[in-house]
Amino acid sequence: MHKLMMGLAKVMAILGGIVLSMLILLTCVSILGRLLNGLFHSEFMTGIAPEFSHWMINAGVGPVNGDFELVEAGVAFAIFCFLPFCQITAGHASVDILTNSLPQGVNRFLRMITETVFAAVLILIAWKLGDGMISKRSYGETTLLLEFPIWWAYALSFLASAAAAVVGCYMAGVRIIEFFTGRVLVWEGMESGH
Amino acid sequence: QEVTLKLHQFLPAQANVPKLVLDVWADNVEKDSGGRIKVERYPSMQLGGKPPELIDQAIDGVADVVWTVVGYTPGRFPSTEVFELPFMMTNARAVSHAYWEMFEKHMKDTEFKDVHILGTWVHGPGMIHTKDPVEKPEDMQGMKIRGGSRSVNSLLTKLGATPVGMPVPAVSEGLSKGVIDGTTIPWEVTTALKVPELVENHTEFEGRALYTLTFVLAMNKAKYDSLPDDLKAAVDKNSGLEFSVFAGGTQADADGPARKVAEDLGNNIITIDSAGVDEWRAIAQPIYDEWVADMNGKGIDGQALIDEAQMLIEKYTPQYSN
Amino acid sequence: MTALEIGIASFPALMVLIFLRVPIGLAMFLVGLVGLVLVTDGTQVAFARLKNETYTTFSSYSLSIVPMFLLMGHFATLGGMSNALFKAAEGWLGHRKGGVAMAAIGACAGFGAICGSSLATAATMGRVALPELRQYGYAGGFSTATLAAGGTLGILIPPSVVLVIYAILTEQNIAKLFLAAFIPGILAAVGYLIAISIYVRLYPESAGTRPRVPYAERFSALVQVWPVLLVFGLVVGGIYLGWFTPTEGAAVGAFGTGVIAWLNGGLTRASLTESFLVTARSTAMIFFIVLGAAFYNGFLALTQVPQELSNYVVSQGYSPWTVLALILVFYLIFGCLMDSLSMILLTIPIFFPVISAMDFDLVSLAAMQADAAMEVLKAGVPDGMSAETLAGIQDAIASGAELTRDQMKDLGIRVTQGMANRIEAEHVAIWFGILVLIVVEVGLITPPVGMNLFIINAMDRTTRMVDTYKAVMFFVATDLIRVVILVAFPAITLFLLG
Ligand code: NA
Ligand code: NA
Repeated sequence: MHKLMMGLAKVMAILGGIVLSMLILLTCVSILGRLLNGLFHSEFMTGIAPEFSHWMINAGVGPVNGDFELVEAGVAFAIFCFLPFCQITAGHASVDILTNSLPQGVNRFLRMITETVFAAVLILIAWKLGDGMISKRSYGETTLLLEFPIWWAYALSFLASAAAAVVGCYMAGVRIIEFFTGRVLVWEGMESGH
Repeated sequence: QEVTLKLHQFLPAQANVPKLVLDVWADNVEKDSGGRIKVERYPSMQLGGKPPELIDQAIDGVADVVWTVVGYTPGRFPSTEVFELPFMMTNARAVSHAYWEMFEKHMKDTEFKDVHILGTWVHGPGMIHTKDPVEKPEDMQGMKIRGGSRSVNSLLTKLGATPVGMPVPAVSEGLSKGVIDGTTIPWEVTTALKVPELVENHTEFEGRALYTLTFVLAMNKAKYDSLPDDLKAAVDKNSGLEFSVFAGGTQADADGPARKVAEDLGNNIITIDSAGVDEWRAIAQPIYDEWVADMNGKGIDGQALIDEAQMLIEKYTPQYSN
Repeated sequence: MTALEIGIASFPALMVLIFLRVPIGLAMFLVGLVGLVLVTDGTQVAFARLKNETYTTFSSYSLSIVPMFLLMGHFATLGGMSNALFKAAEGWLGHRKGGVAMAAIGACAGFGAICGSSLATAATMGRVALPELRQYGYAGGFSTATLAAGGTLGILIPPSVVLVIYAILTEQNIAKLFLAAFIPGILAAVGYLIAISIYVRLYPESAGTRPRVPYAERFSALVQVWPVLLVFGLVVGGIYLGWFTPTEGAAVGAFGTGVIAWLNGGLTRASLTESFLVTARSTAMIFFIVLGAAFYNGFLALTQVPQELSNYVVSQGYSPWTVLALILVFYLIFGCLMDSLSMILLTIPIFFPVISAMDFDLVSLAAMQADAAMEVLKAGVPDGMSAETLAGIQDAIASGAELTRDQMKDLGIRVTQGMANRIEAEHVAIWFGILVLIVVEVGLITPPVGMNLFIINAMDRTTRMVDTYKAVMFFVATDLIRVVILVAFPAITLFLLG
């Protein structure tokens, strides 16, 4: 079970990483296009190579249309994809100064409650995001420049948030078992995972 | 008081529209309700979310009243775009009047059925503010310009400029760092954004304006329905046609002082005369056809909307011209 | 309970949850959610907000800079940049007393110049330098404290993720903030070097030396760091010169370090996967806090607590300097208990309006006009200017009075009240931002809760936390002295802005 869930979390994280890398490339291409477009419009280039400059501009050398929107939609998806891995490796920042001095059993109890509430919150987030997706779809809202339906972006993020909810429930289960058996199944803190 | 209305919007409290339009509306509603309604004002998206969420916040009751730019949610209220087409608007009062009439007739029970609309208006003539002077369409070639709406972006592309999508508050930084070479906004917004200090050229158009944007003041439906009749009356009294014309007119009147600031700084204000405008209109013409085709795809008779809007604008413009 | 009371009660509720080890983002989200339900009498409003707000919070163009800078930091490590930096610094400094520790600080500063995150800088340089320090006979606590402190340079020397978030919250120019952080960042590194030299004089047994390295080797090690300089110059220079926006700069940096890592053979399928996983973990951690803070701040606004607090502070008639001092002390105290990013997100929306409403008198219109006028007059009196006008202008400059509109016109300059106000507001915001940045960074290394201390200490099982705590106080002391200097002389921070 842990292997399966860890596999899911890793696949999602890598998927998010690939999307993030593509956004980085897209942004770089767009900057290059913008700088070149400016160059071919410059007096210098139109002076020494007017035909070539004109040709390059007509060939569409310029910033990527709607790069801004693609980054926004893509990065939301990537971050939702990153959530499951953070969840399963207990990567969320917390303060353990007080709890360090409490007995193990109390800590396990607190961890069980926290993780269960976290799972509930992740389910709530996915559920409401689904509602948001349905409403965006019914209104036919699009982005400004590329005019793609905004609900597509919601749908991708919704799928990733559902994965986060699944992993969140699994972690809640892990902490419940840990509390009742007293065995630690998933370590917490900075040294876990890496 | 009995009823509290949370008024949410995206500009700081001291900006023109919050100060000159929304505060006036809120004060009047409070007064006409005999102090039984209190309007709590939340500027600058203080209640959370981003500007495109405002209309949903009104529909879902996250806020009771919102002021929003219709174009923040492209594709959702397509009929309003008829007033945003290039060289459609004449003056803000006349167009806001036409907008309200057409809203009541075509949009109230369709696109805006989930929300109670209190006012519909447009801003003053949209124009171009640039670092290098723009006198002819060719001057726009290769400029990176921030566009405000779908049709403005489309027009910019046709002019050979590169439309850059960025929210209004980002314009100052974009101009000062050279990320953009210019922006399309009406005069009124230029003072808050310090545009006259960042660019030296402003291009106005004689007669019909290059573009405008549509706004709505929207109220949560359930909240409105829950009001007792006398409080409904207090809200109604300050809403509708008269308020829409007031709002559009007030926003456009703020153009004058802003223009004066640019003049005093010794900036170069270029006015394209009617002969010159024809050249720009010819380039913009295909946008009308594209828009009609787009509307037809959505099952809306775009041409009829254009004809009706033009007829109403013709009709009301003389009435509001001074 | 009134909304205001619920808002005030939310502070202790949040603190209790955080100290019960509830993840900070979750705690803020929960308090915001429950508070919203209480204030609005039901789940309707809270649930409606969730329909869009998770998506719109994560789909932020300006915040997309965060995962990009994080990925850039990992690529830099894979490309051997962190190693090259440490080798170069070690070659030049290693033979001195405490020299290897100084080299580690130097390498941290260099790595900070391409990495946006303190935690990443501490973790990376910890991996590179900790074994070396221990090998040359450095005491455990001294080694871990050095690296934990050095890690904070990751955020002081631009680019910096916390500064990006401050800029977004306060709508400030990211490039200018980066520029303003530069001198304080260098001062921090110098302060840490001084801390090290004092420490090794007091405890000579805590540090060893390594043999002197020949100059040829030192220079060749120095040559190895050129990719770092290239990437830093391209990213920060490009952002400042307006070639691209900060987000685009982060993309360029990630691309550049990625290519260098690939050319150096550091970018394999396995290491790329590893980079994605590490980036995923930190990004999700940060954005969940951002989400929780957005939700909590929305609830807090509804209760009117920030307005009331701001009104209260302003109505007390404290001097701006007293208010500033109180806020910084607040950050220092809470920095011992809380994570820096959560603190920024939680408090800046409350404190920033208070600071903005105060007059620190950093810029005046007359001074700006006088500077511009002198610039013009230096090149000679403009043609056609009468002696009378010239005398009037000179009088105004001498007496510190504002120039009239006509005088300005004759000089052909445009310096307006609007410009002065904007620059004043901007300078206060930037200066305050840098001060806050420094005190929250001090929080990363102040006992008992200091993220950098935890990270580095976890890498060295043989060192007790208490030893790290003791040694790090030397670094904290230089931090505090620096804060006092920067508060007293705003010009140091604002110097590069001109
Ligand atoms: Na940095
Ligand atoms: Na601390």
